[in-house]
Order: sequence, then C-alpha cells, then structure tokens
Amino acid sequence: MSALLSIFLKLSVFSLFAFGGVNALLPELLNLAVYQEHWVDLQTFSDYFAIAQAAPGPNFMTVTLLGWHLYGVLGALVATLAIAWPSSILIYFLQRLILGIKDPIKKKSIQYAAAALAIGLVLSSAWQIAIQINHSTAAYILTLATIGFTLFTRWHPLYFIAIGGVLGVLGFI
Amino acid sequence: MNSLTPSQLFISFSKIGISGFGGVLPWARRTLVEQDKILTSEEFSAILGICQIVPGPNVVNLAVCVGSRFAGARGAAAAVLGLTLGPILIVLVLALLYQHYSHLETVKGLLRGISAVGVGLIASTGFKMLRDEFRYPIMLLVVAITICAATYFHLGLGWVVLTVLPLALYLARKKALIL
Repeated sequence: MSALLSIFLKLSVFSLFAFGGVNALLPELLNLAVYQEHWVDLQTFSDYFAIAQAAPGPNFMTVTLLGWHLYGVLGALVATLAIAWPSSILIYFLQRLILGIKDPIKKKSIQYAAAALAIGLVLSSAWQIAIQINHSTAAYILTLATIGFTLFTRWHPLYFIAIGGVLGVLGFI
Repeated sequence: MNSLTPSQLFISFSKIGISGFGGVLPWARRTLVEQDKILTSEEFSAILGICQIVPGPNVVNLAVCVGSRFAGARGAAAAVLGLTLGPILIVLVLALLYQHYSHLETVKGLLRGISAVGVGLIASTGFKMLRDEFRYPIMLLVVAITICAATYFHLGLGWVVLTVLPLALYLARKKALIL
C-alpha cells in the first residue's frame, strides 16, 4: 500500500509543475518508476508509453498503466486521479479569476510565460525520453522522421503510429 | 448561454475521450464547437488559453472549465469522468493483452516502433509551439534555459519551473507590451 500512497503523493506534486501537460512530467515519471523505486524495468516503461500513445484518449495513460502495474485497477484509478486532481482544483477556482483579468498586458504576460515554459519542458521531455527508450539508430531515424513529417505535412498522427508499428513488427527498429 | 445537465456533459466528453486518437484537443474543438455546438469558436479558444496556463493535463483542465461553466462542480466532475473513463477502460484492456502477449517478438517490435514514433510526436508538439516564439525571439532564451536546466543539469521538474519562472514572467511582460 505504501507504494500506492507514494505514487499518489509524488504524481500529485509533479502535476503541479507540469506546464505543457503530462508529457512534461514523463521524464520524472520514468526516473521515479524505473531508477528510484524500481517498480518497472525500462523496457516495460517503454512498452507502457507505446500502448498509451497508440490508445485513444488523453495523453496521460502511461501514468494509468503504471498504476495498473502496481495495484491493478485500483492503482490505475489512483495514479490517474493523482495527476488530475491538483490542476483540476486549481483551474476550477482560478478560471473566473483569469477570465476576469481586465488588464490585457497582464493576461498576455501570464500566457506567454506559461507557453515558453511549456515548450522548454515538452522538448526536454522528448529528448530525455528518446535517449532512454530508443535503442537503435533506426529508432532515432524513425523519431526524427516523425518530427519532420508532422511538421511539414498534415497527416493524422495515427498514420505515423501505424507506420511505426509495422516497421517494428518487420524487425527494423 | 444555453444550459446543459451533467449527463449531457458526460456524453459530450465521452465522445471526445474515445475518439481522441493522437491528441484529444482537436477532437474537443470538433465536438464542442462543430457537432454539439456547446461553445462558439472564440469561447473555445479563450477557455483553452486558460487551461494551458495552468500546469497539469490540459484536456482535463478543459473538461473542468467547460463542465463547471454549464453545471458547476457536478458538471465539472461529469465532464472529467466522461473524458477519462472510456479511455481508461480501453487502455486497461490493452494492458491485459500486453500481459499475455508481451513475450512475443512481434509485440515487442510493434511497441518499439510505436514508442519511437510516440516520442517524435511529443517533440513535434513542442516544435509546433516553438514557431510562435519567433515573433519575439528573446523568449527563446527561456526555452533554451529550460532545456539546459532539465537535460544538462538534470534538475527536477519543480526546480526547473521555479528557477526559470521569474525570467519567463519578466520577458513575457516585455513581449506583451511590444506585441
């Protein structure tokens, strides 16, 4: 049970700093789950990350799967609740306040600052996750190709996931 | 503004959750603005702007904002549950399949390929947002310092945010005054 409480408290705190959403806290999650607490090995973490990416729904499912790994369905719900409640409470009370800010300069400043932080955190996260889960040159090429294609085409992300899956099954990655 | 019951919110957000392959936000716009006509496009953008200021899962924040706007705390809870319950069920079914078949080489390869793409998708989210920063390039300094702090100095998430935030707010104010 102590692991459940520990994951609840730690995820709750992480989520309060996760500008840019849950993707920003993935490296912390990996570090906690794989290297500090040894809940899962790196391969299992990568696999959960892949399943979460391929499944529909919000992008926090890596967290849900990790909770499931520890304590089944209860763990899944607790871990999901942990990342969602702090910001939900925060936004519930802050939304009127922020909508009510009359000074456009103030409002924009907060938005620009949050956006810049989010970009930095999301890019760092992608980098930190990539060096952990990509084990071959081919995997890095696939990651880079995904970035290139998504930036310069309007294909749906699901196509890239499908292509990645097929290349993986064929043994290229 | 028309009013909505918690169960209507639950249904709208369930649709968003289940159909949200590869990112939920585009589906949220499609469902709330175009199909169910709950919000106008401007309202949606304004609410989304607020949700992205607050840390944490952005779509959940969106559900809280929209839900509470139409039906208070119960509406917020209904929207969040609608958004998350379906996808959690699906991912748990996938987890069970994984438990049974993860030893197969095919499955291992499949997941290796998907995770390499997944990390690319996260990076491209960052790069797409980065484009906007070139309107006021000094803000790129904030991005660069954040990346350095996280990847080179290996500071934890909380410390990165706390150290970079003052500079981010200072430069953001200058950007807001100019643009």
